[in-house]
Amino acid sequence: MLAMLLRRLFLGLVTVWIVSMIIFAGVEMLPGDSCTAFLEREAKGKLLENCREAQGLNRPAAERYFDWATSAARGDLGISANGEKSIAELVGDRLGNSLLLAACSLALGVPLAIFLGVVTGLWRDRPVDLAVSTLAIFAMTIPEFVSATVLILVFSVWLGWLPGIVLTSASAPASEFFPEIILPVLVLTMVMTAHILRMVRSSVIEVMAGDYIQMATLKGVPYWRIVFRHALPNALLPAINVVALTIAWLLGGVVVIEVVFNYPGLGRMMIDAISDRDLPVVQAIALIVATVYVCVNLSADILTMFANPRLRTLHMRRG
Amino acid sequence: MKKLITMVSAIALSAGMAAAEPSGTFRQAHELGFGAQSSLDPISKGRVFQITEKIMSRLVRPGLDGKPQADLATSWEANEDATVWTFKLREGVMFHDGSTFEAADVVYSLNRVLDPESDSPARSAVKMITEVKALDGMTVQITLDTPFADMPLQLMDYRLRMLNEGSGDTIAMTGNGTGPFKVEKFDAEGTTTLVANPDYWEGAPGVARMEIIGIADGQARLQALLGGQIDMERGITAQQQVMLKGSDKFNVQVIPTGNWRGLVFRTDVEPFSDIRVRQAVRMAADREELVALVLGGEGVVACDTPVEPNDQYRAALSCPQDIEKAKVLLAEAGYPDGIDIDVHVATLEPTWPTLAVAYQEQAAAAGIRVNVVQAPTDGYWSEVWMKKDVAATRWNERPADQALHEIYLSTAKWNESYYKDEKLDAMLGDARRELDFDKRKAIYVAAQEHLLETAGTLIPYTVTKLIGVSSRVSNLDEVKNDAVRWHMITVE
Repeated sequence: MLAMLLRRLFLGLVTVWIVSMIIFAGVEMLPGDSCTAFLEREAKGKLLENCREAQGLNRPAAERYFDWATSAARGDLGISANGEKSIAELVGDRLGNSLLLAACSLALGVPLAIFLGVVTGLWRDRPVDLAVSTLAIFAMTIPEFVSATVLILVFSVWLGWLPGIVLTSASAPASEFFPEIILPVLVLTMVMTAHILRMVRSSVIEVMAGDYIQMATLKGVPYWRIVFRHALPNALLPAINVVALTIAWLLGGVVVIEVVFNYPGLGRMMIDAISDRDLPVVQAIALIVATVYVCVNLSADILTMFANPRLRTLHMRRG
Repeated sequence: MKKLITMVSAIALSAGMAAAEPSGTFRQAHELGFGAQSSLDPISKGRVFQITEKIMSRLVRPGLDGKPQADLATSWEANEDATVWTFKLREGVMFHDGSTFEAADVVYSLNRVLDPESDSPARSAVKMITEVKALDGMTVQITLDTPFADMPLQLMDYRLRMLNEGSGDTIAMTGNGTGPFKVEKFDAEGTTTLVANPDYWEGAPGVARMEIIGIADGQARLQALLGGQIDMERGITAQQQVMLKGSDKFNVQVIPTGNWRGLVFRTDVEPFSDIRVRQAVRMAADREELVALVLGGEGVVACDTPVEPNDQYRAALSCPQDIEKAKVLLAEAGYPDGIDIDVHVATLEPTWPTLAVAYQEQAAAAGIRVNVVQAPTDGYWSEVWMKKDVAATRWNERPADQALHEIYLSTAKWNESYYKDEKLDAMLGDARRELDFDKRKAIYVAAQEHLLETAGTLIPYTVTKLIGVSSRVSNLDEVKNDAVRWHMITVE
């Protein structure tokens, strides 16, 4: 078990390293650099030289990557383009905000999705199932920027109940994001609830048709006892992985939502940094997102393993 | 004969305005064009002009009529041949940090712009200056390398703000100026807060606070305006204004500008090296229709002149579409079957693709077969513009002399059409030396007529700016950004 964990951790590190190289190469290959992106048509002569000099862009790409990688390994991600703040601090603020958005959406969405998934699974093909499943399909297929715009139009412009755009600054404490955060949370909840709900529903249906459930029914175990004691623990196992993927998706920056609502999270920062060719920031974010993916997937696997003894022994024998 | 130009500041402050205490908060967005490189240094490329215009002053500013008006300079005069200019400065003006504004600050601020080492983009506006000298504590003398009768026009440039002597290293973060508002907190990516400067020389401002908020997405800015989170958005599109006009919560200001978009045909490559082909490709455009199709009617037709419609030197030209003549010209130039051209655009400027497609339809009638090529927005200025034979361009307004010099002079850095014409070069030089206004105007008009004959740049229109304003805002001057008197506005 421990050996398996270590192996997965090592593989995770390698993944993060490879991601950082791919991102660096990708941004390098784009036309222009941070100076031409900044200076636009004034990117000429002395002005361009001064800018490249100041940002150290004169040096070969390999050398710059090596410098970046060695200081990143020491935990130093560099300073922002205007030289005012450390990138770690800037990205840290944004990561915190993305975490807040993710936490709120998960707190609202996951219980809702599991509840609805179980209900639709147990009452399969009844009116309640049809209604909820149809709504879920709509929520999944309408692009989030459309639902976001519609929600803003209704709740902010027409009714005036909620602010439409987030104007709180990135470094503000979490409490200041209310009530501006409500609309983005609603949109995210709509999208992710639909995904998790469908997963839970099909696995409830599958489990309820299982032999051991029939056996329990024949033995006269009360229906709700069957559902809660025997069916649900097994039915929710596959949901763990979907929830884990959802968490990673949320933390990786829900770019569209963050741009539409002007939310100061990782996704918007990533978009801005790429269009500004701000390599250190792009790298820092890529590093964080890759790490999040690796960690979340690893913990999901571990959780599944604890919940499922068969997988546990399988890995122990192999490891 | 001594030419004397004296300006008296005619600032009409109503008694009620001056007496009232500043109150309320005015909120506005900026598009966050420069991300982490955003700066309060007015001459840096990353300057956030929505902030600098409210915290810093110029020597000369545009009045509501667009003509030079006294700001930190109270009067100015030139020597006989307009090569040496003397500016009298305003007494008793203080910077936000408490230091007094004086001649040394002007010398410092202008020399900082002129420094060839820093090569500021603002330099091109005033690069005819060879020396800036303080004659006494409150008088500055500016020497030019050429006679230039319109020097005060150049000093109205929105970047030429007066800074405190020696503040260059810190100005990017402090924004210490002499304007009606002071910086309380600068946060380009979040909310920048400004507070009223009670010591402003024109009197205390009407609003107590201003919030300048960074919102990169245009749609998000509109939604913030509609939802009442900001009070003003400059840059509403013709389609969007429908949403505002139907509501009594908003007003829309319609401001004609000198900003233009167009297509550049490089004059140094085949087939555009032939002047007849250049005339034909421009003649094939129906400009009225382009204004209607591309701008929803919110623009003013231009006849390939970069001079803005309200400029005193704008030539009254006419340039109707003439398909027959375009065909004849192409045939004479050796292209009886028409020509095939690739027009490069990018969504960097959202109206370019529409402009190119509309032009494609119009020009087809004259046998000009246009193939619209979408180039990536990234690297457009470095890889496409001034590289490809035909590419879309855009320019913000400049005074007539500066626009003609920067875009068409043989030696200009941004001569995007590679236009080399000795006659135009000579005319531009003559105009600067001519001290009589009417004669000078005649030369500028002739230069624009010459461009309509010979240029490689299609300038179909200048853009009219639509500004959405919340009805809680009063006294916002209905003029260009550059000339708005920010201390006048009040909010409910």
